[in-house]
Amino acid sequence: MEFEQIYKTYWDRIFRLCMGFVNDYDAAQDLAQETFIIVWQKLETFRNESSIGTWIFRIASNNCLRQIEKQKRFPKSELPVHLSEEKLTSLEPQIQFLYKCIAELPETDRIIISLELEDIKQNEIAKIVGLSEANVRVKIHRIKEKLTQKFKENGQR
Amino acid sequence: MDNDNNIDFKDLWKKQSVSQPDMTDLLARINKFKKTGLRCLWLTNILLLGTSAFIAFVWFYYQPQFISTKIGIVLVILAMVIYLMVYNKLLGNYKNIEANQTNQEYLQNLILIKKKQNFMQTKLMTLYFVLLTVGICLYMYEYASRMTAWMAILTYGITLLWMLFNWLYIHPKQTKKQQEKINSLIEKFEEVNNQLES
Repeated sequence: MEFEQIYKTYWDRIFRLCMGFVNDYDAAQDLAQETFIIVWQKLETFRNESSIGTWIFRIASNNCLRQIEKQKRFPKSELPVHLSEEKLTSLEPQIQFLYKCIAELPETDRIIISLELEDIKQNEIAKIVGLSEANVRVKIHRIKEKLTQKFKENGQR
Repeated sequence: MDNDNNIDFKDLWKKQSVSQPDMTDLLARINKFKKTGLRCLWLTNILLLGTSAFIAFVWFYYQPQFISTKIGIVLVILAMVIYLMVYNKLLGNYKNIEANQTNQEYLQNLILIKKKQNFMQTKLMTLYFVLLTVGICLYMYEYASRMTAWMAILTYGITLLWMLFNWLYIHPKQTKKQQEKINSLIEKFEEVNNQLES
């Protein structure tokens, strides 16, 4: 696959993964770019042992984990406090709320749920994260429960 | 999936606005990235070669007579070479950590590298200081032997005081800061790694 094609196909998905991890637009943009720099560097070494998607998502999620090191430079952006009280009906705050909730999860849960919401098969998620498929299924179930709970508490429905 | 109720997380997730930067943007960053990587490599090498060349020049130009002077020079160069080599290797290890592993393997590698870095930083710095101190003391002996006793004591005294100040004040301060940073990182990575085990 050509780099340009990969870039066009995967940018949005990688960006959302990063966004779920940091919940900061600029930081996510940076993380996504870093991911593609690594992809560009390593593309030659990609052998079709796994699907290209698994390969790219591994690189992206590892890069997210690595940014923990730089975390002090990217303070998590806080949403305005009054947001939850307004019971907004438009979609935009709901999107923001979802990303905020995800970014507050434990690091690996953020990755797992982001991949799930990207419609990646659970056996692929297992290969990306390094867990068993059964384990991934349980985790996804729990995370979704947690998210639903948070949405209910905030009346974001 | 029963828990989704009427919230469609997938739908919400995908509605996040995304702006795909132009490819040229990314290519520009790649170029910059390549250049800074090279610059770093060049800087280290020039520094290393420059210092070694300078010391070699001193050796040939002043033609030291005592073997102690020569041993001193060799020790000082050795200290620098060892330090730079290990440091570069460590940096390289870290930069080139295999990106295509599972998150779990990746985290374990990060922890391992950080632990190694921690160990190296303390041991290597000690070795560096010992080599440097011994090297400089040996190197100075030839010149001090030609001075009056008082001047020799003064020269050694000032040099050793400066080394002691570095070793007892600046070194611990620096190490402590780095150590704290690395330790908190190891802790954090281990915590994240444990998330996968629960």
